[in-house]
Amino acid sequence: MRYKRAELILSLAILFLGIAVAIGTSQLSSAGGYARIGPNVAPMIISGGLILLGAWLSYEALSGGWRNAVPDDPETRGEHSFQASAFVWVSAGLIAQIFLIHSAGFVLAQAALFLCVARGFGSGKFVRDFAIGLVLGLGVFLFFVKFLNVNLPAGWLQPLLGGAGI
Amino acid sequence: MPDAFNSLLHGFSIALTPLNLLWGFIGVTLGTFIGVLPGVGPALTVAMLMPLTIKLDPTGALIMFAGIYYGAMYGGSTTTILLNTPGESASIATALEGNLMAKKGRAGPALATSAIGSFVAGTIATILVTLLAPIVVELALKFGPAEYFALMIFAFTTVAAVIGSSTVRGLTSLFLGLLLGVVGIDSQTGRSRFAFGVPELLDGIDVVVLAVGLFAVGEALYVAAYSSRLEEKLEQLKGSLWMSKEDWQRSWPAWLRATAIGFPFGSIPAGGAEIPTFLSYATERKLTKHPEEFGKGAIEGVAGPEAANNASVTGALVPLLTLGIPTSATAAILLSAFQNYGIQPGPLLFVTQADLVWGLLASLYIGNVLLLILNLPLVGIWVKVLAIPRPLLYGGILVFATLGAYSLHQSVVDLMILYVFGLLGFVMRRWNIPVAPAVIGLILGPLAETQARRALAISQGDASVFITQPISASILAISFLLLIVPLIVQLVRQR
Repeated sequence: MRYKRAELILSLAILFLGIAVAIGTSQLSSAGGYARIGPNVAPMIISGGLILLGAWLSYEALSGGWRNAVPDDPETRGEHSFQASAFVWVSAGLIAQIFLIHSAGFVLAQAALFLCVARGFGSGKFVRDFAIGLVLGLGVFLFFVKFLNVNLPAGWLQPLLGGAGI
Repeated sequence: MPDAFNSLLHGFSIALTPLNLLWGFIGVTLGTFIGVLPGVGPALTVAMLMPLTIKLDPTGALIMFAGIYYGAMYGGSTTTILLNTPGESASIATALEGNLMAKKGRAGPALATSAIGSFVAGTIATILVTLLAPIVVELALKFGPAEYFALMIFAFTTVAAVIGSSTVRGLTSLFLGLLLGVVGIDSQTGRSRFAFGVPELLDGIDVVVLAVGLFAVGEALYVAAYSSRLEEKLEQLKGSLWMSKEDWQRSWPAWLRATAIGFPFGSIPAGGAEIPTFLSYATERKLTKHPEEFGKGAIEGVAGPEAANNASVTGALVPLLTLGIPTSATAAILLSAFQNYGIQPGPLLFVTQADLVWGLLASLYIGNVLLLILNLPLVGIWVKVLAIPRPLLYGGILVFATLGAYSLHQSVVDLMILYVFGLLGFVMRRWNIPVAPAVIGLILGPLAETQARRALAISQGDASVFITQPISASILAISFLLLIVPLIVQLVRQR
């Protein structure tokens, strides 16, 4: 039997997600008050739907692949092969931002994000990219804090930027 | 009818105050600027620019949003024609002929016919919205919860089953969105669902976080991984920007036909602008006197789909404003913008917030005029925006997109959820699972649940209420057929 592994894994993931929701739902109250249907009914319907869809997708994956899917070969899609380093750099930028935003502050977090994403898209000019990211982050920070009166975390730059800090 | 006219005049008196005019102007300019960026569609543009309206009153904010919404579409056509990277599925039809025209050195007329066509279609569609909305409101005021529930089921069916290449994958996306929609405190009973003790999840998942995650983070991951190392060809803007007499003669019937095709698709909740753009393309191809030019850059092939796109997007404001039902990802985000101001669109909106609604509708006319004036003369600037190197472009997109998600609640948890949604968006993009149904499911799911419960509370728990009332029964029957027929066809074909 011909089957596509990635598609089968995704199909089973949907199926198991449906089962997990069903298990989680069994712990929800069924008391619905006036409406007679409790908070558990919608999740029950959703879990049923996910299980059905997961089963259907698995069947498609096992019988020649998902219908009308995009070609697996990137060349036929007009793209190049999967660049792991690009994917990792963009991810690294987003994760760095999560860790930095409440410690180093908004401006530095956005600069780090900008630097990593630019690197992921093939830029080699670290200093230039970091500088652009810094200027962008600073511009947004000042606009939000001074103009919109929305506080963004200043972090390590607090002594320079003053006032706003978390 | 005179009522609508008077209300609209009153609307103009609100929209034309200098401050509201300024918000509209800022909206269309920023919307066009962001919309021009490759890979940024209207939904993401609206989501990214949402924080800017924090300080505005609801009327000003929604006028600005309307400008952003329209501007993003105009900007998107420029990118589609010059770069052949459609920012949204509704632009694919434009890309077919528009980019070919640009390759032949006719980028100017292609941009002009798309801008003027959008203006014509947008203005006619806005007039139709003005006339139609009060009628739908009259009708909608008679609707009970059962009818609303049925309409929402219909909207779910059309966005998930009709759009895209696979009904099963569309439904999968919808159900993922519905699942995300139940996370948090249940509005009816106050119980928390699937929050796993995370306080940030109790308020539910914000549609902006999902949209930014799927459209911006997912897209950036995908493009970085699969096409960041490709050379891309930006067509130059050579020759005259103006359309010749022949161009005009070939364009205007296409604009009008496309408006007639696009508007109905948008105004009944029939799922987005993708189908009418392709229908318009097919119509023009059939009716043209120059069939030999199709596939080589025929101006009708740009004029039609662009006008159809605008007409249907404008038409989508009818179900959004009168029923509170979004039929596209962009409309879903607009709905969440309304909700942020504590406004629930629906028939009562025309009574309780008449100033806001009519000010918004009037600003649509103004927005169209502003865009026509702005877009063509400024096209040189938009072309420069397109020339920004990819690494800087995507760095900038992510800086602003994550800002849009973070500034909602200033929460790191939102950023973590954002990255998870980004990974989800990557997978969905790679394996061709449409993302719009998930966004619509997230915002419409809880509303549908509330309506179902209200209906059952009124009927004292009798579930037959949905199929014993004629309107609700017929809407549900149509939805069921729309869902089941394509699946049966697929099964039969496999035999």
